[in-house]
Amino acid sequence: MTLGLRTQGAEPSPSTYAPAPGHRFKVGDRVAVKRSFPPGHRRTPYYIRGKTGVIERICGAFPNPEELAYGFDGEPKKVLYRVRFAQPTVWPTYSGPARDLIEMEIFEHWLEPA
Amino acid sequence: MSGTASNRSAADIGGDDAGPVDTLDRGMKFWERQANALRSVVQRNQIVLVDELRRAAEDLGDLYAKLEYFERTTLALRALLIEKGLVTEEELAARMAEIRARFDVPDEMESPIKKGKSR
Repeated sequence: MTLGLRTQGAEPSPSTYAPAPGHRFKVGDRVAVKRSFPPGHRRTPYYIRGKTGVIERICGAFPNPEELAYGFDGEPKKVLYRVRFAQPTVWPTYSGPARDLIEMEIFEHWLEPA
Repeated sequence: MSGTASNRSAADIGGDDAGPVDTLDRGMKFWERQANALRSVVQRNQIVLVDELRRAAEDLGDLYAKLEYFERTTLALRALLIEKGLVTEEELAARMAEIRARFDVPDEMESPIKKGKSR
């Protein structure tokens, strides 16, 4: 992993790795995480909902864990993305360097174009 | 943070003040080893999935934050085994009563090996 090195650079270069066919977003797209608060087992943390980031990579397509959690088969598979957010946009009171990033893996059904 | 806090999972605490963090490694208690072994077996055999275990732990609600790690995972496993019809509440209660009657579970922390090492 070169995460530590990349976060030190001024402008990190995004990956172009794209293994999942039929994905809605591509690397570099700006996306907003849905501001939605459904009950049940959800894989998108509360604090990132409503925030805007950029697709860093497409991780692949996987059985939906929000369905697997209730004993279903998780089909159809959902495309998982790694999304890059600027820390100051995630935390209103963020006091670290403005270049700090947080990257999170988020399923396609939680994302909208931004 | 704006918006509603409804339906926020008990495990979804990212960004909250963590308070003091206890970093002392106390090892695993006897029952924790037993319960963790059972969880490993049912998970390895795909009788329950990690996603289901997580969901069942989150379903503990307010209890979640009050419990230790192995208490959560074990209660989650218990809920799933009952939910899937693999055991019933009655069978579990009867078995626990039976074991309690015939076997005084040793306190591992009092064993000669552990004694004096931790805490």
